[in-house]
Amino acid sequence: MTEVVQQLLNALQWGSFYALIALGYSMVYSILMLFNFAHGDIFMTGSYIGLFVTLGLLGIFASGVVALPGWVIFIITLLLTMLLTSFLGILLELVAYRPLRDAPRASAAITGLMVGIFLETGNLALLGASRKTFPADKLIKQSIFDIGGVYVTNIKLLTIVLSLFLMLLLHLLVQKTKLGMAMRAMSVDYAIVPLMGIPMNTVISLTFAIGSALAGAAGVLFAMGYPVLEPYMGMLIGWKAFVAAILGGRGSIMGAALGGYLLGFIEIIVAAVFVSTLKDPIAYGIVLLILTFRPHGIFGEAYSAHLRI
Amino acid sequence: MPLMQINHLTHFFGGLRAVHDFNTTIEMGDLKGLIGPNGAGKTTIFNLVTGVYRPTEGEVIFEGKNIVGKRPNVISDMGIARTFQNLRLWTNMTVLDNVKIAAYSRIKYGLVGAFLGGNGRYEEERMLDQEAERLLKMLDIDKFRDFKVSNLPYGIQRRVEIARALMVRPKLLLLDEPAAGMSPAEMLEIMDVIRMIQDELGLAIWLIEHRMKMVMELCQSIQVLNFGEVIAEGPPDAIRNNPVVIKAYLGTVVS
Amino acid sequence: MKLKTDKLINHILSIHPMAWLIGALVSAVVEWSVGTVIAYSIGLSDGIPPVFGLSLIFAKPLLIPSVILYLVLVYLIPIYVVARLLSGVVGKVMSRLPQLASIAVYLIMLYAVLEVWGSLDDYRLMVLKLIGIGIILTVSLNLVNGWMGEFSVAHAGFMAIGAYVSSIVMVWGFVNDDVFGPAVLPTSWAPVAFPIALIIGGIAAAIGALVVAIPSFRTRGDYLGIITLAFVFIVQGVINNLNFIGGARGFMHMPPLSSLTWVFIWTLLALFMIQRYVSSTYGKATSAVRDNESAAEVMTVDTRKVKIIAFLTNAFWAGIAGGLYAHMMGYINPGNFGIVMSVEVLAMLYLGGLNSITGSVVGAVFYRLISEILRPLGLYKWVVIPVLLILIMIYRPFGLLGFQEIKLPTFGRKKEVPHAADAD
Repeated sequence: MTEVVQQLLNALQWGSFYALIALGYSMVYSILMLFNFAHGDIFMTGSYIGLFVTLGLLGIFASGVVALPGWVIFIITLLLTMLLTSFLGILLELVAYRPLRDAPRASAAITGLMVGIFLETGNLALLGASRKTFPADKLIKQSIFDIGGVYVTNIKLLTIVLSLFLMLLLHLLVQKTKLGMAMRAMSVDYAIVPLMGIPMNTVISLTFAIGSALAGAAGVLFAMGYPVLEPYMGMLIGWKAFVAAILGGRGSIMGAALGGYLLGFIEIIVAAVFVSTLKDPIAYGIVLLILTFRPHGIFGEAYSAHLRI
Repeated sequence: MPLMQINHLTHFFGGLRAVHDFNTTIEMGDLKGLIGPNGAGKTTIFNLVTGVYRPTEGEVIFEGKNIVGKRPNVISDMGIARTFQNLRLWTNMTVLDNVKIAAYSRIKYGLVGAFLGGNGRYEEERMLDQEAERLLKMLDIDKFRDFKVSNLPYGIQRRVEIARALMVRPKLLLLDEPAAGMSPAEMLEIMDVIRMIQDELGLAIWLIEHRMKMVMELCQSIQVLNFGEVIAEGPPDAIRNNPVVIKAYLGTVVS
Repeated sequence: MKLKTDKLINHILSIHPMAWLIGALVSAVVEWSVGTVIAYSIGLSDGIPPVFGLSLIFAKPLLIPSVILYLVLVYLIPIYVVARLLSGVVGKVMSRLPQLASIAVYLIMLYAVLEVWGSLDDYRLMVLKLIGIGIILTVSLNLVNGWMGEFSVAHAGFMAIGAYVSSIVMVWGFVNDDVFGPAVLPTSWAPVAFPIALIIGGIAAAIGALVVAIPSFRTRGDYLGIITLAFVFIVQGVINNLNFIGGARGFMHMPPLSSLTWVFIWTLLALFMIQRYVSSTYGKATSAVRDNESAAEVMTVDTRKVKIIAFLTNAFWAGIAGGLYAHMMGYINPGNFGIVMSVEVLAMLYLGGLNSITGSVVGAVFYRLISEILRPLGLYKWVVIPVLLILIMIYRPFGLLGFQEIKLPTFGRKKEVPHAADAD
C-alpha cells in the first residue's frame, strides 16, 4: 500500500512537469491551430536560464554583503526564469511563426521543429556536451518526511503544490480576465476576433509568453528535483508533454493539465507492470490509439465546422 | 423498376431533424426538380443519396439495390454522379486531369500499370484522354483542356464540373444549383447544356435550383421542400401558383 | 543581371545534354590521370579535393583560390570544351536512336561518370551513396507530404524497420553471429540475396506503415502528423528494448554490400516507379484527395486505397533506403533513426520542392553539398541548417522547385502516337 502511495506521488510529480509544459502546447493550439514543436526545447532552455539565474544570484547573495536565505533565492529564480522564458516565447513567435501566418500549416510545423533543433544545437555548441548540475541543494535542502511509511521529499511536495498553484492562477486568468476572454474568443473563432477590436497579435504574443513562462517554471522545478541538465532534455520530456496535451484534448486548457497527470500515471503504471524501458513506446502507443479512435482527445471537442484559418 | 426509389428518408444531425420522411421516384430519362428555401434540406438529401452521410432512417434503392451505408465511391461507381453548390474542383490540376480522375474506379491497369507503365496502361490512358476530350467538346470547353482550373473563369469551371460528373458515366446526375452565380445569359446557356446532355446521353437528372425560370422550363416534375419535408409536388404548373409554396418562400400568402 | 543569367542558361541549354555528360566523363578521366599532379602543383597539398573542395570553404578558406583554379582546370574547361565540340555530332546520333536505347545510353553514361569520379576517393563514394539514399527517401516522402499533402515524419521509423529487417536477414544468412548463429547460406549467394533482403525490409516497413495509414482514413493534418511522430518514437523505443538485435548498443556485422552500383540502380528504380505513378490518372487521384477529399470520394475515387498506396509506397522505399544505409555503414543503432533523421529528409524535401520528382533529386543533392560545406563547422551545421530551412519556409513554402519540374531532354525518336484530336 505504501508502495502505491509512493508511486502515486511520483506520478503527481512527473505529471506536474508534463502538465505545466502541456499547457503551453494547448494554449497555443487553441488560438492558432498550431502545434509549437519548439515548446519542449523552450522548457529545456528555461531550465538552463534557471541555472544561470540561480548561479548568478547565489554568487551575489549567498555570501557577501547581503545574505538571503536559500528559499528566497529559489522564489526569485523561479519568477525571474518565468519572466525570461516568456520573453523567449514572444521572440520565437515574432521571428518564426508570425511571418508564416498565411503559409501552409506544414511549413509552420517544420519551422517549429527547426527552432527546436536550433535551440538544442545552440546549447550544445555554447555550453558543451557535458551535463550541468543545478545547485538545488543550495536553494532548498532536501529533507525527507516519513508519513506512515511513505517517504516524501519536500521538493516533490513543493513541485506538486507550486504546479497546482500556477495552474489555478492560469485558470483564473483564462476565466476571469479580459485577456483570458480574448483567448477563449480566439479559440472559438479566429477570424472574428480582430473585428471585435481585440488586438490579435497582442493576444497571441501574450499566449506564447504565458505558455513559455509555465514551461520555464517546469524547467526550474524539474531542475530542483532532478538537478542534472542536458541539452536534449527537451526532447525527452517536452515531447511527452506534447503527448499529454493531445491526450487531454485539443485546445482544452484544463484538459492539457489533466492529460499531463494522466500521462504521469500511465507511465508509472507501465513502469511498474512492464520493464521501465518500455514505458516510452507504450505511452506513445496509447496516444496513437487514442488519436485513432478519439482524435480530439479526452476532453476536447470534436472537430467543429467553424471557419479555421 | 424505377431507376431510383427513395423511401421514408429521414436524417437527424444530433438533435436537429434535417430531413423528414422524404420519398421520391426517379425513372430513366426524368428531369426532376427539388426546390425550397435555403436550409430546407435539399443538399442534405443529395449528400444522403451519394453516401456522404448515412441516413438515420429510410432506404435509397438504386436499380433495385439499397445503397444506404455504401461508401461514396462505390455509390458513384454504380452510376450516380453530382456537381456541387460551391464548386469542388481540384484546383491545382488541369481541366483534363480533373475529368479523367472521375474514371478512377474503371481503371484496369491497376498498381502494376501505375508504377511500372507498360502498353496496357498507355493504351488505357489514351482511351481515357479520348473519352474526356469528347465530354469537354460536348460542353464546348475542349480548348481549355490543359489549363489549370484555378485560372479559369467561373462559368467555365462550372462546365468542367459537369464534364467531370459525366465522366463517371452516371445513369443519374445530381446537379446542385448549377446556375448559381451566373448571369441570365449564362443561365440560358446552362439550360441548353442540360437539355443537350439529356438528349445525347439519355440519363436521368435531378436538379436543385433557386432560379425559378430554369426549374419551371426544364423539369417535368418538381418537389418542394421546407424544413426537411415535402410541402408540394407535381408538374411545374401545379407548383407555380401553389399558395403553400409561395408562403414557404415569401412568408405570407399572396392573394 | 537577369538578362545575363538568361543568356547563360540558354547557352547551357543549347548544348546537347549528352555532350555535357561525355564532357563530364572526359573530365573525370582527366582527374583520374593527372588530377593529383595538378592539385599539388597549384598548392593543394592534400591532393585532390574530395568533393569540389566544398569543405575547405570553412576549414581552410585561404585555399579557395587554388580550389577554384583546380575546378576550372580539371572540371570546367574539359567539360565545356568537349561538350561544345561534340554537341552537334552527339545531337545527330542521339536523335537517331530509338527511345529505349537513348535512355539506356544516358543512364550508362551517367553511371560511368559517377563511377569514375567516385573511384578516386572512398569519401566520394560515400557521399554519392548518401545522395542516392537521400533521393530515395525524399522522392518517396514527396508522395505523402507533397502529392497527398499530408505532414508525415514517420519515414525515419520506416527506414529503421527496413534497416534492421534487411540486416537481420543478411546476418542470419551470411554471417557467423552470436545471436543468429552460423551463416546458413553459401557466401556466393550473398550478392543475389542482398536485393531480396532489401525488399523484405521494404515490405516489413510497408506493413508497419499500416499503423499510420489506417488512422489517416479519419484523421488529417496536424493530428496525423502527431501519429507519425508517435510512430517514430515507438519504433525507436521498441528497438531499444530488443536485446537480440543489440538494443541501444546497436547492430552490426551486416556485410558491406551497398555498392555504388546497387545504390544507383535502386535510386533509379525509385525515381522511375514514383514518377510513373504520379503521372498516371491512378496516381493523380492522390492530389485529388489532397485538394478536395470529399469531391474525390464522390467521383469514384477509393480514398482509402489511395492513402494506403501512398503510405505503403513511402514506407517501402524508406525501408529500402534504410537497408542500403545499414549495409553501407556496417553498424546501425536506434539513435540513427530518430526525429533528427526525419528532419534531415524533410530538409531535403523542402529544399528541393514538393510535388516535384526532379525537385527531390535537387533537394537531396543540394542538402548533401550544403552539409559538405558546413562539415568543418561541426555542431554549428545544425544551427545553420534550421535557419536555412526556416528562411525557405518563409519565402518559398513549397520548396525551391515546388510543383515544377526541370525539363529533361527528350529521349531519341518518339514512337508514332496518333493524337487524340486526329481521331474522328
